[in-house]
Amino acid sequence: MAVAALFHARFPLIARRTSPSSVSYYCPRTLEFSHRLQSIICFSSSDGDDIVVSEGPNYVKYSDEDLMKQCKFETFRVSGPGGQHRNKRDSAVRLKHLPTGIVAQAVEDRSQHKNRASALNRLRTLLAIKVRNKVDIEAYSPPPELLQILPPKSTIRTSSSGSQIGPNNPKFVPGMQALLDVISASDGSIADSAKLLGLSTGALSRLILSHDGLRMAVNSMRAAKGMKPLK
Amino acid sequence: MIRNFRFTSFLSAAKPLTSFACSSSPARHPPQFTSSASTPLRITPPKTPLFLRTPSHAAPLSEVLKWQDWAKDLASSVKNSSTKSEDSLDSILLLRELKWLTEDSITDDITRRELGGEKSVKLRASLEELYELWRERIVNRRPFQYVVGCEHWRDMVLCVEEGVLIPRPETELIVDLVEEVVRRDDWFRRGVWADLGTGSGAIAIGVGRVLGGCGRVIATDVSPVAVAVAGNNVGRYELQGMIEIREGSWFEPLKELEGKLVGLVSNPPYIPSDDIPGLQAEVGRHEPHLALDGGVDGTDSLFHLCDGASRMLTSGGFFAFETNGDKQSKMIVDYMNSDLKNIFSDVKIVSDFAGIGRFVTGFRL
Repeated sequence: MAVAALFHARFPLIARRTSPSSVSYYCPRTLEFSHRLQSIICFSSSDGDDIVVSEGPNYVKYSDEDLMKQCKFETFRVSGPGGQHRNKRDSAVRLKHLPTGIVAQAVEDRSQHKNRASALNRLRTLLAIKVRNKVDIEAYSPPPELLQILPPKSTIRTSSSGSQIGPNNPKFVPGMQALLDVISASDGSIADSAKLLGLSTGALSRLILSHDGLRMAVNSMRAAKGMKPLK
Repeated sequence: MIRNFRFTSFLSAAKPLTSFACSSSPARHPPQFTSSASTPLRITPPKTPLFLRTPSHAAPLSEVLKWQDWAKDLASSVKNSSTKSEDSLDSILLLRELKWLTEDSITDDITRRELGGEKSVKLRASLEELYELWRERIVNRRPFQYVVGCEHWRDMVLCVEEGVLIPRPETELIVDLVEEVVRRDDWFRRGVWADLGTGSGAIAIGVGRVLGGCGRVIATDVSPVAVAVAGNNVGRYELQGMIEIREGSWFEPLKELEGKLVGLVSNPPYIPSDDIPGLQAEVGRHEPHLALDGGVDGTDSLFHLCDGASRMLTSGGFFAFETNGDKQSKMIVDYMNSDLKNIFSDVKIVSDFAGIGRFVTGFRL
């Protein structure tokens, strides 16, 4: 890790795709974060930051296989016959989720198979961030996946909610989506959302700031309403 | 693995083959000694890829960084030197390869021990070799996969070396096609599969992993280098109990299995001979033409495989062949529907991820 880190620090061209800040190389936890951030910065949909409002199924909860079936899968290869003619120059893949038009890409791995898996993970995160499901604030009952990511002091948590799931866990993604649905339904108000979730405004802010993608999604939501960003 | 037996047949029993990379791996079926005595013995065992070597070298950190700077400069310098765009090197891709070369050759941790007042780095190759390897990559256009001695393919890392075709990303899909068939009907899981012209053993190992222990895969290759490399890869994935590598041309080593195969897969040479001189330098100058050149229109081996499939597959058996693309795939489908009429069913063309009609699949009636 360390030498690779030094290497990245000296090779900004490669580093740019791997991490946004040189400090993060020495901390695997942060590295994980930066991957998430990267997935949002570099691999977001070409259609911009459009939020999709869905009244249909919750795609984030689909199995890998079912999600893949809804996607158009492409490689980036240059034109030409491919196959035996070419030495593999690029194992990059691009997934387009047809129902929403959201695009996820992955380029950094040596195997196309693994790039496909990373792209699918990214797609899931992007779906969580960009697809808003409608929530009835008046009769709101938080789903279990949201309870799981809330800090233990939340008053709406029960003993069956289990221990808190952190932002590095893949199970954080569906919880994050449900959280964004609540904040969206509360018109970006952290105080109102916090009340619904049995948390103090400060505790909810800390939760939002723990995940770069979540923070950016909340802040763009707030910006659209003319509210100040969370920092 | 098969090589072991051949070696012992030629060498005295008193001389154990300790240098052979996987001499401990047992082969279930000793091969017949059919090849003529005039075949030159290839005693060189498969090469060990960089990432599997022991980190027995060390260098001061500053020297390693100096190598990286040099390598990076060399990679960046290619931008303007090439004229042909289709066949030129790309700095961005080269820098990515350099990152992978670094991962494969330099151990993760810097030793805390000071070496002459400086931190030292453990390496899997000497710095001199690393300079040489990168020079070969850029100046000689040696494929990156031969430089590091491996290719990441599906979820596997396969050893490759000169004399063996580097498995292509397109070919990964053949394993997916097999997986689909096997998932639909468990019958395919229990039978014998064959991968012809296996090269590095990529498809055979991919299929072996899909079958999951019940079935058997027999992989053939006419090249002794490929047989040794494929055997080594099979051993690395501990599949020597279910995958057997046989040396020989196409169906020749499979005579006792006529009409018994439940599956047949192959990525045969399919490039038309006239296209060979114009290939990308990495391919044309370094990869074995035996694995690329498919004759005048590239279909020599494919037609041979079609004929063989009618003989070798049992009723209901599945086949999947890779081709040069739309035109060849159509030729194969037409051939099967006319000359081999009423022998196959559901013969169809399957596209690769670039949308090229890359595979022909079907079933023996």
